[in-house]
Amino acid sequence: MTNVSVRDLYKTISKTKTHLVQSREIATTCVCPYLFKMSYPFGVVGGERDYLIANTVHDAISLASPTTILDNWQQGKTEIDFEYIAKKIDKDSEGIVEKAIANAKEKVRIEGKTPVLETFDYEVQDRFHGLLIGLAKRIMKKYEQPKCAVTEITITNVKEVQEGRIDAIFEFKDGRYGLVDWKTNDITKTPSTGVDRWQLIANFLLANYRYTGSENNWNRCLFGSIVFYEGAYIPRFPLSEDWIEKVKNDRKFAFEILCGGRPHAQKPAFCPVCDKDGESSFDCRFYREDSRLALAGNLPIDYANIRRLLLKRRYLVLDERAETHKHKFVINSMIDRLGEIDALQDLERTGIIHSGYRVDSINANSITLVKPNNSEDNITTLTLLEPRKIVRIIGKEEDGSGGRRRIPLLACVNEKGFVKNVDDTKLVVDFDSNTIAQRAKAQLVNLPIIIIPDEINLTRRVLEPMHRFHRLAADLMLPQDLFFGNQNGSFS
Amino acid sequence: MDLSLDIEQLRVLNWRASTRDIAAVVGPPGCGKTTVGSGLAIKMIAEDLAKRVLLVAYTNAAANEFCWELCNILGSEVARRLCLRTGNPTGVDPLLPIPFSRSANEIQEKRIIISTNLSLKKLPSLMRFDNMIIDEAGVERLEHLLWPLWFGVNNTLAEQYKNRSNNNNSTAAAVVDTSTENTHQTKDLMQLISQCGTVATVVGDPKQSRPISPVREDYSAIEWVMKRSRWDTLRISHRLPDRLAGLVNEFAEYDGLRSAPEIGSRRLVLDSLPDIEFREIIQPDEVTTWVDINGIEQPIGPSSWANDVEAKGCAKICDHLIHITRSSKSIAVITRFVAQKQIIRRYLQRMGHTDIKVTTTTGALGTQADIVLFSFTRNNPERNVGAAGTLQDLNVSISRSKEKLIILGNFDMMLNGWSASPLNFRRGQKSPARNLARLVDSKYGKVVDAPSILKC
Repeated sequence: MTNVSVRDLYKTISKTKTHLVQSREIATTCVCPYLFKMSYPFGVVGGERDYLIANTVHDAISLASPTTILDNWQQGKTEIDFEYIAKKIDKDSEGIVEKAIANAKEKVRIEGKTPVLETFDYEVQDRFHGLLIGLAKRIMKKYEQPKCAVTEITITNVKEVQEGRIDAIFEFKDGRYGLVDWKTNDITKTPSTGVDRWQLIANFLLANYRYTGSENNWNRCLFGSIVFYEGAYIPRFPLSEDWIEKVKNDRKFAFEILCGGRPHAQKPAFCPVCDKDGESSFDCRFYREDSRLALAGNLPIDYANIRRLLLKRRYLVLDERAETHKHKFVINSMIDRLGEIDALQDLERTGIIHSGYRVDSINANSITLVKPNNSEDNITTLTLLEPRKIVRIIGKEEDGSGGRRRIPLLACVNEKGFVKNVDDTKLVVDFDSNTIAQRAKAQLVNLPIIIIPDEINLTRRVLEPMHRFHRLAADLMLPQDLFFGNQNGSFS
Repeated sequence: MDLSLDIEQLRVLNWRASTRDIAAVVGPPGCGKTTVGSGLAIKMIAEDLAKRVLLVAYTNAAANEFCWELCNILGSEVARRLCLRTGNPTGVDPLLPIPFSRSANEIQEKRIIISTNLSLKKLPSLMRFDNMIIDEAGVERLEHLLWPLWFGVNNTLAEQYKNRSNNNNSTAAAVVDTSTENTHQTKDLMQLISQCGTVATVVGDPKQSRPISPVREDYSAIEWVMKRSRWDTLRISHRLPDRLAGLVNEFAEYDGLRSAPEIGSRRLVLDSLPDIEFREIIQPDEVTTWVDINGIEQPIGPSSWANDVEAKGCAKICDHLIHITRSSKSIAVITRFVAQKQIIRRYLQRMGHTDIKVTTTTGALGTQADIVLFSFTRNNPERNVGAAGTLQDLNVSISRSKEKLIILGNFDMMLNGWSASPLNFRRGQKSPARNLARLVDSKYGKVVDAPSILKC
């Protein structure tokens, strides 16, 4: 395959639907298809919550998982020992937690946000400790010490149009894996909608793909768990076929919506959001009624025009979201056609991907990657990397089970960052925080590096004002008795 | 306060300060769009016409430009007291005297807020602005206008509108009859937003930028406003000397763009004579020179192109210009393609020139330099100029220069090129590049053969 045919592939792929459905979106669809439609295409966003504490705990536990947690892992201990194990990990992780707290505070300072509360340090430490208790009590008790752990890994299964970020995967000596989803929210305040369980199943499919190449092969799966404050949910194996089918069907539903289709959506007999008047329930009812009136032709013509315009623009924005994934589709398609080695060589020759780098050092939020300078003679074999470009750094892993199978490229450990500086031999990549840089260095340091282009998905940011104006137009332009939603007060 | 404006700028400024609606201001190259936007914000605050004004730009670089313009007009001290830059901290120019913050309290305290469009979501949702100036709206689409316009919606006016509507509706039939015209005055989204009290000036130039859209032919944000509201055009360029203003005016059909009197006759002044090989290229009396160079294009990356011979030529001309101007002139190199930009930058780095701005046409929006080199890049036997031949890209590339424009490319390719597909060519849809080549050759510049020193 020549250089130009890679370009042809880009042209062909730009005419197809290159959407990927995120595990979280599949989970939302499983709870209620209308809930997914609230996000896409309507652009409804939930209330603004402060995730700073939860994110800080996530950061800390992602660094502790492959280090202090693995080191102190003890199987089959009694109830009394759990507290001791958690305390021991706590003590060994003191530096990690303190660093995560300091990074969070520094970020707040740099971004000029409202300073954190005095209880911030305590809240982070307490939730971190609570998760450790949950882990020790439910997971460590049952399972032997894992061989290693990978954390915060984004897995893309292009063939099944799914992508998801898994909090932690523990890998065991026999080649099996255990998947963990940390719930770092304050569980006393978070309403349970069941979405987490569906997300876990969606993530199972991705983890299966990582370890076996097929989402339907469960041979390597040992356990999966949602670990929350002082507890954990571990679904019994084998998982119900109905659950797995539901996840796959709802993935298909979400994909069709993203592609601009109109698959039939049915509100479940009980929706934990709408039927309990949860957040977004008012919006959900509004859009359902809006569609019904539009279908019946009962909307005033001016409002109907504005409504039509806003919906049309929303689907155009969704098309743009598909664009952000096209590199992954091209890479996957090339690997399918040529095999991984030849495909990567061709892609590198064309300037799409870059290899030959190794992790050299870390400085604040950045890591430096270096490679031998052998492109001096031919300036046109230049890299298309340039400052502010978004890249995904992939550490090409070998399957640890002793078999010959490679882990698919888009399922290997990876981290997304911005190019800060680049020259013939050196690439500096900036991350959102020092914690991410540390994690990237720890996970990528001994692996061959492959750098692929990536993009940020800003779709929801663009969709949100369309939702607001849609609601405003309905509020102002529809007769009060036409729309039941207006009884609840002004949209504006 | 240093606010020196020409009559066109003053006319637009007074019009926008005295009207409370959404309108567009088309600003051809060098007419001072950013100056007018900043001036309008200051006038609104100084004359107490608005309590709080929002300046929105598409990129961080453009938002920083707004800040610098405010500092120039107000002085650093006053700008620091009145203005605040918000958004993504990594995109903020660290040298700006204007403070940066994302704290709701600090944002509430300031009178002029500057942000990029995509960062507006981070503003406190209940915050409201009396006036908004949205810059470079030619790059954006309708949906990108909606965030800034949302921050202008006045709840009281919206409520009044609703009451009026309800009164109208109560006299109408109980069941809506969609077959008849509704009694509402609002016909489209822009009108609705305007009636809810949003006041905004959308500034841009559809002839300089196009949105990157999933739809091949989509209106830009400013075109949406122009279609549905009032608009005006600035016509005096403060950047382009007469010959270049003439070229840009005729090429992009601005229907009367002219140079400001003080810069009309401006020409490149050199400290020493160029070497004999470069003399025809750099000749100061000729504002526009076309260097006819026959390099071969090569595909790089998913959709980019590079031309090594042109890249070397650019680097050599830059090197010589730096030598003969003793670094007293700002130089910029513009090309349509990222790959070509990278190659030129590398050649310049190897020559030790790291401070020359090398940019794509999109990055060049809102920038200027004393001397501009434009590398056309595309050159193939089929004469397919592709995306490089669009009106917007060519217009931006030829209109960044204050004293001298040097175009590098195969002249024949440009003169006979076609843009989209051979089918279009047969139908007579020729590339705008042809018009540019014809205008430079016949009226506004000189075409010279590339000296051998550039090719080796």
